[in-house]
Amino acid sequence: MAEKPQPVEVLYCGVCGLPAEYCEFGSEFEKCKPWLIQNAPDLYPDLLKDANGKDADKVSDQLQSTSISEGSSTSKQEEVKRLPGGKIKKKERQEIVIEKVTRNRRKSITTIKGLDLFGVKLSDASKKLGKKFATGASVVKGPTEKEQIDVQGDISYDIVDFITETWRDVPASAVFFIEDGKKVPAV
Amino acid sequence: MFKKFTTEEVSGQNQVKASVQRRIRQSIAEEYPALEPVLEDLLPKKSPLIVAKCPNHLNLVVVNNVPLFFNIRDGPYMPTLRLLHQYPNIMKKLQVDRGAIKFVLSGANIMCPGLTSPGGALDDEVGAETPVAIMAEGKQHALAIGFTKMSAKDIRAMNKGIGVDNMHYLNDGLWKMERLD
Repeated sequence: MAEKPQPVEVLYCGVCGLPAEYCEFGSEFEKCKPWLIQNAPDLYPDLLKDANGKDADKVSDQLQSTSISEGSSTSKQEEVKRLPGGKIKKKERQEIVIEKVTRNRRKSITTIKGLDLFGVKLSDASKKLGKKFATGASVVKGPTEKEQIDVQGDISYDIVDFITETWRDVPASAVFFIEDGKKVPAV
Repeated sequence: MFKKFTTEEVSGQNQVKASVQRRIRQSIAEEYPALEPVLEDLLPKKSPLIVAKCPNHLNLVVVNNVPLFFNIRDGPYMPTLRLLHQYPNIMKKLQVDRGAIKFVLSGANIMCPGLTSPGGALDDEVGAETPVAIMAEGKQHALAIGFTKMSAKDIRAMNKGIGVDNMHYLNDGLWKMERLD
């Protein structure tokens, strides 16, 4: 048997996870720079020079400005999230979507999506729903990693009142039904 | 291919039968003779081998929750980039010029001119429809794994269009999936 080739140790960037030499092609090269200067200075000789020179001021300037802008607009979280580069996904809209799914012809399940966006604990919510409507209610992992609550039976008739009454910070205007594949405001 | 790829896509993971496991080992050993000495470390006979099935007839060979190889339908097994980085000499290498890197890293297929230009390099022994490692000008490590559309000689002769299909590249979904649980 031939001698075992030893695995090559590859230096992966601590910030973006790419091999360090590919950081410059990553999407967040700027963020990687400090890490690179520390851990792989020989890969990007230019970087080191810049860092020692005037760019150091710039960086600190940038840092300051970002911290300022963040501080001033914390109330408008949605906008802050969209700002950098415009690439970051905008925050999900806070809304609750209720859908009735029929199974076995005359039985149905009501699914409630989006309660977690209002800071509601889903396990508590499902318990409350089950108690109120005297049916089974469970937290289910829906499509795309989202958790939703499935409640047995058709409870769409007074779920809106229940939701808005139980969780005061949920406005009725944020509740939607899905009817024939279309989103319809509940109120 | 792995541009959008998350653990959600994995539709089922199965621990495969010993006979299937043997077959996978054998085909990997045939494909990558250079890997044979370390194959026992990579795919220990004792530990269970898991095949994860994904859409588009894609299979991932997973050992100890780490994806190591993938293949399509009954096609050849290809190592993941993390594995290739550890054992860079197991595959034939093609090199693209610097200008092509950023396109390859966003998932583009490798075009012939990028391989034939001064910055690129072609291994003339590479035939059509074989897995290759895509290296880059001035870089040490592979940036993608490709599947040749035509042989190296044809690439040189035609010098136009897609030469190598980009299967798996840095920072794609499979790259980000370091572990599969």
